[in-house]
Amino acid sequence: MIGRMLSVELLKIRRKLLWMLAALGPVGVIGLQAVNYGLRYDYLMKLYGDSPWEGLLQQVGSLMLPALFIGLALVASMSAGIEHQAGAWKQLLALPVTRLQVFGGKVMLSLLLLLASCTLLLLLTLGMGLLLGFDPQVPWAEIVRQSYLPYLAALPFIALQSWLSIVMANQALPLTVGTLGMVLSMFSLLMPAWMPWGWPDRAVRSADALQAAGSGLALGVLVLLIGYAHFARKDVS
Amino acid sequence: MARLLASEWIKLRRSIIWLLLPASPLLAFVASWRSSLDSGGAQAWREVLAVGAMVHGYLFLPLLVGIFAALLCRFEHASGGWKQLLALPVRPAAVYGAKLAAIMALAAILQLLMCAAIAGAGLLRGLDAPVPWGMIGMSAFGGWLACLPLAALQLLASTAFQSFAAPLAVNVVFTLPNMLVANSRDFAPWYPWVQPLLAMVPQDTYGFGAFNVSLETLLAVIGGSFLVFLCSGLLYFVRRAV
Repeated sequence: MIGRMLSVELLKIRRKLLWMLAALGPVGVIGLQAVNYGLRYDYLMKLYGDSPWEGLLQQVGSLMLPALFIGLALVASMSAGIEHQAGAWKQLLALPVTRLQVFGGKVMLSLLLLLASCTLLLLLTLGMGLLLGFDPQVPWAEIVRQSYLPYLAALPFIALQSWLSIVMANQALPLTVGTLGMVLSMFSLLMPAWMPWGWPDRAVRSADALQAAGSGLALGVLVLLIGYAHFARKDVS
Repeated sequence: MARLLASEWIKLRRSIIWLLLPASPLLAFVASWRSSLDSGGAQAWREVLAVGAMVHGYLFLPLLVGIFAALLCRFEHASGGWKQLLALPVRPAAVYGAKLAAIMALAAILQLLMCAAIAGAGLLRGLDAPVPWGMIGMSAFGGWLACLPLAALQLLASTAFQSFAAPLAVNVVFTLPNMLVANSRDFAPWYPWVQPLLAMVPQDTYGFGAFNVSLETLLAVIGGSFLVFLCSGLLYFVRRAV
């Protein structure tokens, strides 16, 4: 059933800006890094010496995290916005589907789109490294880790933004919360370990990466449950 | 025009915006209150202001201008409001001008809150020099002025897109490069989206008068891009089918 909800959601975003946005994130990040490397190639290569792949991953990571934070807020807002704009919540809930399926469908859509973004970023990072003529010994483990662990660590925020965007007709609040999250996440080095805004960054730096991703997964599920409990009892207009 | 502004005010009065405005100044306040300083006296104020301006101006301020624009157009997109508004005996250009003025008024309130946040942070730290209102005020005013082109572009995007998030996506696409551009001596003076940051962070070396950006940047980049975005927005708005 949830599969059918997801295919309905995918149908609704055909020919919408949402796909473009999901692709634009990684393309933008790699595009900027291409300019960055184009302009200061010698400097960057000297900076990272004999580990150019690590350097590239570090540079990509510094842009990827804010893009992920604001991107997930935009994706969640746009996928819920389809229903808000058309005033379609009432109609959708009048269909013989449960609220869990409706909520689940929207969340799955955001999760799927962001997963696609992360995968695209992986491929583009790989492509850029190979084009720049880095060592063909690709550090697969690191590239895969950097592409997907921040995604897991950001799950609480995907859950939060989906929840806020679904229950609020006015998207100004969810998007300001999303912007706030992005700005906060840039100070992750100053944050104590329990603050979720630092987790995606921790998931990139290797020491406690798995722990950050695991906590993100756990808290994400918790926020989703709270969000669903709220949505299930809420009167839609 | 005054009446159009009054109607924007009525629409905003009980909206969620008043909850959102303090978010960035509060964060800047905490950052500039808790950050460690290297210097004392009047120089310490400069550092406090620089920290607050970095937190506020880097991404938050440019993105908030986009949220203001989208919010102001949301009332019209939501329930056929454009038709209703433009059916009144008002000129479309005046409607557009009133929206732009409302965005900049919200940005002005935001910058005033920023002044309070910086002054509050400095006073809480017990800095011995008196509050340099001139420096803080010029920083806030410069940041506000640098938001003009962004507001004009975001108003164009917000009138063009029905969805709330789409114009913000445009804004994000242009604002995220700030993270690289801000560090570049060659490109930073020419990139409109980084100007709010540059105008707010106090700088010793270059700067025109009390402004933190040079006269060329002020005129060419901020003024020029404002004119381009405003004219294209106006042309689009006046000619489009409602």
